[in-house]
Amino acid sequence: MDRGMIALKFAMLRNSLPGLRAAGWVIGGVLVAVTWAAAVLVPDEGIRRSVLLLVLAGWLVGGMVGPVLMSGAGVLRAEYFALLPLPRRVVARGLLVSVFVSIAAGYVLLAQGSVVAHAARGGVVPALVGAVGAVLAGAGVIMLSRVVYGLLGAAMQSRLGIQIAGVQFGIMFAAMFTGWMVVSVTVESVAVLLRRGLAEGPVLTVLEALPSSWPLLAADRAAAGDLGGALLLLGALAALDAVLLAAALALLVPRPGRTARRRGRPRSPALVAGGGLLPATQTGAVIGKEIRQWRRDPWRALESSTALWTGIVIGTLLLLVDWARPGAAFAGVIVAFVLGLGGCNLYGQDGTAVWQNVVGEDATSVRSDVRGRQWAMLLVFAPRVLAVTVPFVVLSGAWWTVPLVAAAIPAVMGAATGAAVLTSAIGVSPGVDPRRRVGPNDANGNIGLHVWVVILATSVAVAPTVVALVWGAPRPAPVTSTLVVVVGVLNGLGAAWLLGRVAVAYLAGRLPDVFSRIRYGRLFTDGPDGAGADGGLLDWVARTTLRGEVRAREMKQEERDKRLARAAATRG
Amino acid sequence: MAGRREVLADRPIRRRGGAVTLDGMSEHTSGQVPEHAALELRGLRRTFGEKVAVHDMDLVVPPGSFYGVVGPNGAGKTTALSMAVGLLRPSAGRALVHGVDVWADPVEAKRRLGVLPDGLALPERLTGGELLTYWGRFRRMPRDVVAARTAELLRVLELEEAEALGTLVGEYSTGMRKKIGLATALLHTPRVLVLDEPYEAVDPVSARVLTRILRRFTAAGGSVVVSSHVMALVEQLCDRVAIVVRGQVAAAGTLDEVRGGSSLEDRFVDLVGAPEVAEEELAWIAG
Repeated sequence: MDRGMIALKFAMLRNSLPGLRAAGWVIGGVLVAVTWAAAVLVPDEGIRRSVLLLVLAGWLVGGMVGPVLMSGAGVLRAEYFALLPLPRRVVARGLLVSVFVSIAAGYVLLAQGSVVAHAARGGVVPALVGAVGAVLAGAGVIMLSRVVYGLLGAAMQSRLGIQIAGVQFGIMFAAMFTGWMVVSVTVESVAVLLRRGLAEGPVLTVLEALPSSWPLLAADRAAAGDLGGALLLLGALAALDAVLLAAALALLVPRPGRTARRRGRPRSPALVAGGGLLPATQTGAVIGKEIRQWRRDPWRALESSTALWTGIVIGTLLLLVDWARPGAAFAGVIVAFVLGLGGCNLYGQDGTAVWQNVVGEDATSVRSDVRGRQWAMLLVFAPRVLAVTVPFVVLSGAWWTVPLVAAAIPAVMGAATGAAVLTSAIGVSPGVDPRRRVGPNDANGNIGLHVWVVILATSVAVAPTVVALVWGAPRPAPVTSTLVVVVGVLNGLGAAWLLGRVAVAYLAGRLPDVFSRIRYGRLFTDGPDGAGADGGLLDWVARTTLRGEVRAREMKQEERDKRLARAAATRG
Repeated sequence: MAGRREVLADRPIRRRGGAVTLDGMSEHTSGQVPEHAALELRGLRRTFGEKVAVHDMDLVVPPGSFYGVVGPNGAGKTTALSMAVGLLRPSAGRALVHGVDVWADPVEAKRRLGVLPDGLALPERLTGGELLTYWGRFRRMPRDVVAARTAELLRVLELEEAEALGTLVGEYSTGMRKKIGLATALLHTPRVLVLDEPYEAVDPVSARVLTRILRRFTAAGGSVVVSSHVMALVEQLCDRVAIVVRGQVAAAGTLDEVRGGSSLEDRFVDLVGAPEVAEEELAWIAG
């Protein structure tokens, strides 16, 4: 059974994108090499020790977020085996074993092995202790990565879980946005680290407390002659592994039909009875549907909670840095900005449900759909933007920023809804179809380019407000402040209108193509009514976003052909 | 359509000895002069790379007919119907709804069409009632008409309880999804219904309700095209049938013409060809 599962896992990996896999192998290999370089090349023992502690902690964190970021290619899910006549324990064990048989797991173990290189300088016994510790810690990291992935999958079924996932993604985005800060600090600190090692202090204490450090600490104790202490640490590590094993097995046991019962069923009897707050128009219908999707669909809710938490995390970071404190007042603007990223693939997230837009097409339906989606985004995000803005303006104490924030928010929100809906239209990227979604990344396909298009489009679209802010900031007078706010509001309205209009013009006549991209993963241009390409920027984005998916399919086809040829050769 | 203000709630569904009548549905389909075929496919073709999924298909569905399209898995039924309703661009050929080209004048053609696709998603996080309300308003029907038809459709299709419980479409069973899908197809009083596997996973009681609704629809002059694998069902329901094999219509006409004296299933197997199971094959199956 275990063997069968391992074979299945490798078959699934073979069907994933080879380019991506190769990139993963190279990056993993480089990271292992860096880890070993730290263990072998750094001459001073104290410095080597602190560098290794830091790098191993990095592997621990990487193990936790890695599978989530990689969207779980090659992750076997318990549901696949729900119908097999196997005891559930056996399935869970097989799933766990399959987690260990992978290149990534090999890398983790290799990296942990660097402890042995460090410990071997102290003799044979510390090296042995280090080796045992490395195996235990490696196994721990691998199991932890599966447990975190499983927990996030389960978490997508509850409101609290979505918030927790939102915090994770929020921290990730915050790290990406404030990347320059992190990078500059890192570059400075690596140089200092390699020269001096970590100073005694809270950072070192926290690092030493992490289980990833225990093998190294155990080896150090063994080298100092404290074998009892070394064994104690190894024992603790083994106990931790046992806990993780139990957690992983419990999580991996297939539970067919596991759906969390919601408390308080959401429904709108007033709407169904012909009422409702929204106008009973075509646009009103779309707004109502979209707001309900944003609130009830865990994947949409994750996008909005990610935006919220990105603002909160960045705002908090800025509050902590003395000179950047006034920047925290703009935390709400960041929420508005991330709104565009969260909505950059609306049609792809709808999946094949887009057929309704195709068969329900009339003279105004495309316009109503685009505008309705924009309004819904605005209505869903405005309260969140305000909820973050108010406390952070107060905490920053920078009251002079109020008119600037009041100008930036409408401008960014308008531009973001426009950029999002336009990118959604031209770069449809279907993930897993709505009914089959499980993991936190299932709703989108490959949206790497989309995010950049939205960032770029939003930044360009708010240019008038930026100019007004630069002009107005050194002139704090009621008149200039009012003027800046007016520019911001007009800019937001204009950007939302213009970008939305471009989206409407693009989609008119192309709805079947949007559906084709979702249903068949390609565009059909061979017919008499084939979608015309005008060679413009929008088509470039459309073609580029599609190319990745097309290439993936071609590679699959090549693989299939090769396999067929091989099979034919063995038969013949 | 927007000017039609009839309220269906005023004409209640009546159950007489199990008979369900749905008043007010598709009544404007009667009295039309049948100039054009309800649905016509002319030389319709779709290739996927090298593979020709639909091979210059011709098909004429007369107005008022209950038309069955049958064929083995992968014969191209769904692909052909997708092209006929505007979901998939044809490589060549035309699809006409009451003489209106689906691809040249999609808005006019789609106004006349009601579609139930197979295996596609819906807005999964809405309840059935919310979905119908959205759909009705999206199709620019008056608010009170939408509300009345929604209530009536939910009642007739026995989805009221799920609605009261707040069950979302994503939590519906396959049969319930078919029913709510049919409701969306019917809501705007189309003249031609194109239904892909409408009876799949629908329980026998609901199937009867469904059949009565569709019969009523055709009796009022509407036309229905259903695709199915189930020969008995098609034989029982349809007055006309087409057998699709390898992307082409192998036989088409009235039920009797196509059957040619034998059963539809025998005729189907004749055309499609069935692999023989020799005596010694699968001998282990009895244990």
